Amino acid sequence: MTATPHQQSNRPPHPPPNPAPHASPSWSARSPWRRRGKLGSDTRAAYAFMAPALIGFTVFVVYPLIRSVYFALTRYNGLTAPTFVGLDNFRRMFTTDPSFWPSVRATLLLVVLYVPASLVIGLALAVFCNRRIRGVRLLRTLVYLPVVLPVVATITLWKFVFNPQVGLANQVLTWLHLPTSEWLSGEGSALPSIVIVMLWSVGSTMIIFLAALQAVPTELYEAAKLDGAGSGTVFFRITLPLISPIMVLQVVLQLVTALQTFNQPKILSPDNIGGPGFSTRVLMLSIYNNGFPKLGQVADFGYASAQVWVLFLVIVVVIAATARFSSIWTYSDHVS
Amino acid sequence: MKRTLHVAGVLLAAGGLLATSACGGSSGNESGGKTTVTVMTWESNATNQLIDKALAGFHDPDITVKRIDTPNGNYSDKLASLTQAKKLPDLFWCGNDTELQYSGQGLLTDWSGKLSGSGDFTADSFAPNVMENWKTADGKIGGVPSLMNTYGIWYDIDAFKAAGIPLPAAGWTWDDMYAAADKLHKKGAKYGLVADAMTALDGPFSASLYSLSAGGKPFADSVHQPTKATIDATYTEGVGKLVAGIKSGAVAPPGYDISNQQSLFAAGEIPMLWSGQWLASAYLTDKPKIKYGFAPLPQVDKAATLYDAVGICTPSYTKNADATFKVLSYLDSTVWTKVLPDSPVAVPAYTAAQDAYYNALDKAELTTVAATVKADLDAPLTMGVRFTTQWASQSNDLITAYWPDILNGKKPLSDLQTMTDKINDVIKSNG
Repeated sequence: MTATPHQQSNRPPHPPPNPAPHASPSWSARSPWRRRGKLGSDTRAAYAFMAPALIGFTVFVVYPLIRSVYFALTRYNGLTAPTFVGLDNFRRMFTTDPSFWPSVRATLLLVVLYVPASLVIGLALAVFCNRRIRGVRLLRTLVYLPVVLPVVATITLWKFVFNPQVGLANQVLTWLHLPTSEWLSGEGSALPSIVIVMLWSVGSTMIIFLAALQAVPTELYEAAKLDGAGSGTVFFRITLPLISPIMVLQVVLQLVTALQTFNQPKILSPDNIGGPGFSTRVLMLSIYNNGFPKLGQVADFGYASAQVWVLFLVIVVVIAATARFSSIWTYSDHVS
Repeated sequence: MKRTLHVAGVLLAAGGLLATSACGGSSGNESGGKTTVTVMTWESNATNQLIDKALAGFHDPDITVKRIDTPNGNYSDKLASLTQAKKLPDLFWCGNDTELQYSGQGLLTDWSGKLSGSGDFTADSFAPNVMENWKTADGKIGGVPSLMNTYGIWYDIDAFKAAGIPLPAAGWTWDDMYAAADKLHKKGAKYGLVADAMTALDGPFSASLYSLSAGGKPFADSVHQPTKATIDATYTEGVGKLVAGIKSGAVAPPGYDISNQQSLFAAGEIPMLWSGQWLASAYLTDKPKIKYGFAPLPQVDKAATLYDAVGICTPSYTKNADATFKVLSYLDSTVWTKVLPDSPVAVPAYTAAQDAYYNALDKAELTTVAATVKADLDAPLTMGVRFTTQWASQSNDLITAYWPDILNGKKPLSDLQTMTDKINDVIKSNG
């Protein structure tokens, strides 16, 4: 069918910015998709290759996320149909659940203990491994080794190490004539013990710092040496400022790791529910306990979903705050 | 290319179906017209092999029995996922709590009709009162009890003799037990008594034995359909004695690592251990270094003990209930008579199968174990080990918040009442 002159004069000179799905054939025929024949097929191929990941992401991430918002507003045990309860799950969380605030406390304490320790130890190891000394490659491998070992296996190994009666940790302390600890059995020592287990995998932090250190221009060190700067001055005035963007990245990564800690308290605590008491019942474990309780108990998916969203919001706030304040202490070579 | 893709698609689909069917699923008809009844246990590999051998003796021209392999370590996760996927096997090992909760949700086949009939396999053929605890408030029985756990005190005979303490025996008192623990502690044991059942989440229920035995009230009026939790003077008195025992070092405190308590007892490191009869089976395989005995739990006036039975449940969507019930009755009666002689883990709830258990204990010369199990089953006063309700995790969190601190002396005994009031709020809010 040929268009009349009148119709031609009314055709927009450019495609509309947001064409409706039912756009006219004349517009559709002019779309980049159709016009770039070869590129179009490439694009289609790209989408085809991406499709499995996109479908997986939609089915296993986006859909559960949306669904969990609904479950958070219901009482749902996974066996019978959910019952809408409004904000009851959130009310229970903040007012009557005796484990919620101890879980928040345990999570924040873990963050406070783990994040600085992992950064300091990771950086110290990276600085040490960045030196040209004999056997440094072997050392790097040894430090990184726990990262590649199966997580559950290494954590289980630590369970034996920390056994207060027959474990290696107390035996070593006894040999050294130092007081022994209850480790995972003590309410005060359980969380620090878990932090020690987490620090066992500090190799990943070390590797990123090592890459950052090796990117620092050597001329700067040479110039500092000529100026007579000491090693402390070089570290704090050159190295640290130049790797500060990586430091910010590490802070964010370690914060997320700490806030989402699950494996260690799950495997190491008595009855696997976090303890003694609530000492290692971090938020992720609390969510799991409610969603997937012990044998004989019915799941509380509604409440677990509500907790998931609270944890998500906590993570968003913490990361946003870190990003917001990172500019204060991050070095930038832009001239203002 | 198209054909290759087509073949790959068919193979993937078939693989998916196979994988799904391997995860469980209830009975179905095979091509030969036989009904397959599937069974899932939480037993160890060794016990499963004995069960397989015993199941090979099940002969019915119309039924094939197939056991689904399940690692016993993650049984609860597997059970939860199969429940949600509605792919539970025809028969699966379940606790009393699971059976009552699932029955309440209408998820299990109600066997009450079949069990009330005549024959060898009816409610009357089980140990007294056992079946009552498997009934829901409206009389449904979604599973059949199979084995009963009984509790007592394992003791190191030589440690007692060295300390000059008479050996524990039926009728010994709570004061006897704490005095013995104190002496054993003073003689060098780190703790005279390790009693996780008293110091962990189940503690408030175990502590009920003191008040029950002294004529007082138990912590909860029922673990299955509780209406009220109570703390009376006798209960507080009993907890006070436990607190004093922990304070003096005679009793292991809350949080004590129990992961290797079984081997520590066997090595002579723990002179008194509160645990169940199932250790006997383990000690027959791994012989302890010590001479040991098993005594009933202590009392004040009357014998009181803890009650706990596990069983076998069937989903409501089983395809052939008659065939499933036939296999169920074979499992509960005949299979245990063949398994228990080699692995006397617990006494069967089905009374006609109990001799196999006691004979195995006699053969192994575990006379104190047999006597204590019998005494427990005959005890006039019993108490469930924990709430079996859907809101049990909420009350557990309240117990976690109060019980360890009360036992450690960080909170006063009067906080027992605060804990109980809050548990009563949970009971009330859950109807």
